[in-house]
Amino acid sequence: MKLVKKQGTDASPLHAAVLGATIDRRTFLKRSGITAGGIAAAGTLSMSMMKKAAATDRTPTDKGTPTQIRSICTHCSVGCGIYAEVENGVWTGQEPAFDHPFNRGAHCAKGASVREHGHGERRLKYPTKLVNGKWTRVSWEQALDEIGDQMLAIREQSGPDSVYWLGSAKHNNEQAYMFSKFAAFWGTNNMDHQARICHSTTVAGVANTWGYGAMTNSYNDIHNSQAILIIGGNPAEAHPVSLQHIFRATERNNAPLIVIDPRFTRTAAHADQFIRLRPGTDVPVVWGMLWHIFENGWEDKEFIKQRVYGMDEVRAEVAKWTPDEVERVSGVPEETIKRAAQTMAEHRPGTFIWCMGGTQHTIGNNNTRAYCIFQLALGNMGVAGGGTNIFRGHDNVQGATDFGVLSHTLPGYYGLSEGAWKHWAAVWGVDYDWLAGRFDKEERPGEFFGEEGPSDKSVNPMTEKGITVSRWIDGVLEDKTNIAQRDNLRAMVFWGHAPNSQTRGVEMKQAMEKLDLMVIIDPYPTASAVMQDRTEGVYLLPAATQFETYGSVTASNRSLQWRDKVIDPLFESLPDHTIMYKLANKLGFGDEFCTNIQVSNDEPLIEDITREFNKGMWTIGYTGQSPERLKEHQQNWHTFDYTSLQAKGGPANGDYYGLPWPCWGTAEMRHPGSANLYDTSKPVAEGGLNFRARFGVERDGVNLLAEGSWSKGAEIKDGYPEFDADVLKKLGWWDDLTADEKQLAEDKNWKTDRSGGIQRVAIKHGCAPFGNAKARAVVWTFPDQVPIHREPLYTSRRDLVEKYPTYADRKDFYRLPTRYESIQAKDYTGDYPLIMTSGRLVEYEGGGDETRSNPWLAELQQHMFAEINIVDANNNNIKDGEQIWLESPEGSRIKIMAKITQEGVAPGVVWMPFHFAGHFEGRDLRDKYPKGSDPYVLGEACNTAFTYGYDSVTQMQETKCSLCRITPA
Amino acid sequence: MARMKFLCDAERCIECNACVTACKNENEVPWGVNRRRVVTINDGSPAERSMSVACMHCSDAPCAAVCPVDCFYFTDDGVVLHDKDICIGCGYCFYACPFGAPQFPKNEAFGSRGKMDKCTFCAGGPLPDNSPEEFAEYGSNRLAEGKLPLCAEMCATRALLAGDGDTVSEIFRERVTWRGASGFAWGWGVAYNKPGIRRGYAVEDKATGGD
Amino acid sequence: MLWSLLLLFALTLLLPLIPYAVAYVNPDAGGVPNPGSELWREVRHANVGTTQVQGVDSGVLISEYGERWRQYRMQQLAPWGAMVLGAMVGIFIVYYLVRGKIRIEDGRSGKRVRRYTTTEMTVHWILASTFVLLALSGLILLYGRWLLIPLLGASGFSVTATVCKLLHNYVGLLFAAIVPIAFFLYLKDSLFNLKVDGRWFMRAGGYFGGEEPSSEKVNAGQKMWYWVAMLGGFVLITSGLLLDFTNLFQQGREWLMGAHVVHTIASIGVIAFFIVHLYLATVGVEGALESMVNGHVDANWARQHHDLWYQELQAGQDSTVPKEGLKAGGTHAGGVASPLVKD
Repeated sequence: MKLVKKQGTDASPLHAAVLGATIDRRTFLKRSGITAGGIAAAGTLSMSMMKKAAATDRTPTDKGTPTQIRSICTHCSVGCGIYAEVENGVWTGQEPAFDHPFNRGAHCAKGASVREHGHGERRLKYPTKLVNGKWTRVSWEQALDEIGDQMLAIREQSGPDSVYWLGSAKHNNEQAYMFSKFAAFWGTNNMDHQARICHSTTVAGVANTWGYGAMTNSYNDIHNSQAILIIGGNPAEAHPVSLQHIFRATERNNAPLIVIDPRFTRTAAHADQFIRLRPGTDVPVVWGMLWHIFENGWEDKEFIKQRVYGMDEVRAEVAKWTPDEVERVSGVPEETIKRAAQTMAEHRPGTFIWCMGGTQHTIGNNNTRAYCIFQLALGNMGVAGGGTNIFRGHDNVQGATDFGVLSHTLPGYYGLSEGAWKHWAAVWGVDYDWLAGRFDKEERPGEFFGEEGPSDKSVNPMTEKGITVSRWIDGVLEDKTNIAQRDNLRAMVFWGHAPNSQTRGVEMKQAMEKLDLMVIIDPYPTASAVMQDRTEGVYLLPAATQFETYGSVTASNRSLQWRDKVIDPLFESLPDHTIMYKLANKLGFGDEFCTNIQVSNDEPLIEDITREFNKGMWTIGYTGQSPERLKEHQQNWHTFDYTSLQAKGGPANGDYYGLPWPCWGTAEMRHPGSANLYDTSKPVAEGGLNFRARFGVERDGVNLLAEGSWSKGAEIKDGYPEFDADVLKKLGWWDDLTADEKQLAEDKNWKTDRSGGIQRVAIKHGCAPFGNAKARAVVWTFPDQVPIHREPLYTSRRDLVEKYPTYADRKDFYRLPTRYESIQAKDYTGDYPLIMTSGRLVEYEGGGDETRSNPWLAELQQHMFAEINIVDANNNNIKDGEQIWLESPEGSRIKIMAKITQEGVAPGVVWMPFHFAGHFEGRDLRDKYPKGSDPYVLGEACNTAFTYGYDSVTQMQETKCSLCRITPA
Repeated sequence: MARMKFLCDAERCIECNACVTACKNENEVPWGVNRRRVVTINDGSPAERSMSVACMHCSDAPCAAVCPVDCFYFTDDGVVLHDKDICIGCGYCFYACPFGAPQFPKNEAFGSRGKMDKCTFCAGGPLPDNSPEEFAEYGSNRLAEGKLPLCAEMCATRALLAGDGDTVSEIFRERVTWRGASGFAWGWGVAYNKPGIRRGYAVEDKATGGD
Repeated sequence: MLWSLLLLFALTLLLPLIPYAVAYVNPDAGGVPNPGSELWREVRHANVGTTQVQGVDSGVLISEYGERWRQYRMQQLAPWGAMVLGAMVGIFIVYYLVRGKIRIEDGRSGKRVRRYTTTEMTVHWILASTFVLLALSGLILLYGRWLLIPLLGASGFSVTATVCKLLHNYVGLLFAAIVPIAFFLYLKDSLFNLKVDGRWFMRAGGYFGGEEPSSEKVNAGQKMWYWVAMLGGFVLITSGLLLDFTNLFQQGREWLMGAHVVHTIASIGVIAFFIVHLYLATVGVEGALESMVNGHVDANWARQHHDLWYQELQAGQDSTVPKEGLKAGGTHAGGVASPLVKD
């Protein structure tokens, strides 16, 4: 029997019964509140209470008739499609999106439970502020007024750089872009987001190797792989749906799967070969494999000759990594390394996948470049089935990175040069001088040494990289005279950030307590609300989730996907871009903020924001993805091929799904997007490319451009530099531009020509707008030109420090002094004999505030734990399931549960998941959450115990290798 | 008539627990009751394998056999369902079930368990299809809508298959052929072919080889 | 004779368990190994796996005991239980038809002697009523599906079964409390006297002819009933508490199944003995029931059935006990007339 709900008043008893059970949104929320209210500990949830809510809240009285809305999972970067069923504004059902090209309806635990977001019972419900240590509800107006006034006062006293804008990979593209713009209009580069602490070393390392810092192929393209190597990644937990694609290769191609990790992960359980390395020895292992490849002549010599610069210098470094030395340093024996190398050499194309295990090190940039070089040596780049498939983390961390929610670049990786600022000022429709006037004027001598190489020019705050998210605590705590800006940080805005994702928790607590003002804008209170012991000066503003707004989101494979709004913002929450606009108004730049953007009801129009960034993001081809095209793709998921991602017929015929960037030129050009980067087998107009000419045309007299390699159909049949007006003229292609294009393109290059004409003409002639060069195996602008091994700061192997020492301390690195050798100098191994490392759990994501507040997930992981080898457990008198203290050499300690493993981690290594928060050094902080918004599950954050250590290029934090000791609690 | 079955491919299950939360999502199962769970054996060692397990809707269902009040019934699709109005919460089905499928909301003194709850193959219960009452007591009735259980539909790696037994084993056989290795249809011997206590192997072979 | 017959019955009860025990010690019997079965074997024998789902036994992937328990309950307990109890009832019907009621040979003397104190009687009746409730509710839960569903319908029987389950689970606790009291209360009288009781057993209590052997206050058969009831009671209580308080130590299925097997075997055994007791105490022996109803028995009855006890009483101080043998003067009042006689 099918019941049909009617809105009218039907008198029949059947309909009366049905209507009686139907719910509108208000009663629904009320019930949710009742359900959640007063339940302190997750374990004590009363069945009857939950049942009541379950029985009444979701009554599928008219299954089949609810509105079906297409959205994208908000958890990880795979970008799974979701069908949300909504009735009367209530999210009543979730159906698998079988037609979605990424996930074919599949989900992980998190994706399969996103509907719980529509309950939101543990959300932060109203703007709240801390008054005398008590959470007090306030109105939005009052909150924004007070916050604005305090910020303006701080700006007056200490300059705009004293307010830190900490953005989020959870914002959609439009919001991320607006956030970046917001910080610019406030006048600071002190802005950053989680990409800094997840894949910043990837972006830096990869971009500096061949042009773009992103996953080169796609999850789906793994179908074509003949071998798969995963290092420092556990996609079975962090990106479960990706295993669907990996299994397709392992089953249909019989592709061997190699997993390299210190821990026997759930991914390793499905591997053909598992290689256990000592944490922090990625370079030795990769060089060890390359040693065998070079030794046996397995490298792709033709590919290297045509498309790689500097492989000989790598060869010299690799020669030092004899099998003996590799085993001495990493613990991996020769035959294991050789077998892996041979597997990869004999099964081509093979793909190389890495995650946080590779990136979160003081030498993270060396690791990522070593991975790239490995793929270059085997000629695995630019081919379907090959590539570096870097699995990004959050759903929109790729987008937020692309939009420059970073302290060192403007949107589109334009950097911070004056030219870049002028480009964006023009796109934003504001006067450059006005914009420059927003920044602090105090210049200072620079000593910067980083991505752009050493510099001794004097710098000003507008063109100087800001403090990174990993170091904001030092921006607060460090002596003012040591910081390369006018004053310390005095206000922090956590706009979608979980503090437990950052190391040095104890110092972070001090920093939070020293601040004048903390503003937390988030759907959940996050640990920021509770880990400090402040009594005032903390504001919690409820933000809407991505299911309560709409816009585009960039998956790891660079595809932009359009999300529709599922439900209206719950409680008093507002979408992030609305909050930005309101706050911009309060801070006095509301009009400039939305020059080109229609605003209604304080909400900037998302489509207008998309159109605005389409006009500026030429560098990475975010220009062809108009809202119309993205919506067209969204409505036609079923037309895209599961492996190639290309639409076969339908309105988007020929397009790659989501127009993976670079999608060159304007939307009118209808570039299909570039599914696999640097793939020369296709014309640029059809998604082909070659390596980018980003680093000049020659170095020390050696040609950096490609030799004898070009993308299919290119009229220049050799390497060529990037295009600008001059090059077009020299080639005689200038007149291919229209009159309008000529006007805008004059004196501009492919990145700054806002007409898109230069790109259009280059592509018309089959050429990549960014030139055609070699990838570089030597990054001469980095501290280590060729990736080398350096021992972690807190190393367990003192015997290796002399041969593989870390860097010298730096005085000014992203505005802060940064320590290396002064920490490594001290031997802690006596008191802290165990290596401490961390990772992820499938049920939770990031800091976990959202997922630990979802009872369907929280029930599955109720305790923070440490995985300890049986040997270490017995040596320390620790029993399985018991509480232990874990202490770090910096004096912080956490109380967690011991999980004893036979082989999960090797003796001497302790592994912890990182998503927990709400306990702090043994103290349960549940009472400190605003009433009713405490997550179901709390636990110690492993990062409370994690120690100092930052990458030498990006300030990525070291979370994968430190020291600790464990004792029974 | 179709004969509905579950099949979990241990080579593919990655213990992501999507099936567990999908079930919670679809059926609003309360905290503490898990109609489906993923069990990993040899966790953290090379022999590690995971399997998603719930009610297998056995051909000769032990739960139904031992129920003192005879509250179980079989649908035309071979789905094993029960009537909560008749269930007395004695727990015998929990003893008898090889898969640990029957769940009870409570475990309190004086044998107080509440009514048994278990996987319904997303086929609801004895109340009118897709009525609010049916949803409240038994959860969703996807079969009535022409859909299959959400756990299998949402499985991250398609390890968990659900549907007509012939179709499911056909999919699995094709996969095993691709793999060029032996496959393993977990639990089929026990659930669908009553071999007595000890004779699961031949049946496993049949399911993987040439059913 | 009868008692040995009963013993035989008790043994046959265990017979069906033999294949079960064999299967248990030889778990690989009947297995045909194949290459794909390695994991399967692992699953079956392995230690408990791990799971993120919290719950009793949630880490057990597959439990082979469930099937064995099912076999036990459906193929052994239910049919054999029915046969044993049915046989007991049958035996006594036949016995009654053949032997009839055992009368007080010399008729009632009219003189009554005190046999049980009020405490002894109270404890007896509490024990008896809880036991009967438990036995009946237990039997209904075991056999109701076949016997009562056709009568009451599934929903109707569900109500009955719910009541029985509640009764069983709550009354069980009362039973658990009273058994230890009964144990100590009747212990002294129930200790075996090898010489006397041995002879009593040899002659099968005289139930199958021959002179009724001498017995103390409590004859050997009654002593045996005491021990069966008490030891059986302790077994029932222990296993019952495991089943009743499943949250005691979150005991898993194997515990519960084991407890259930023990509980049911013991209960069938005790109920079988109870049928003996019930028969002899009511329709079987004239003048027996009144001892538990008003605490007194006729002096002739005492002399006939418990001669040693009667002699003891005569030697004792109690003036109400006739000092010489009473032969006549009594009437063969049918059955239970005397409860109305006031003390």
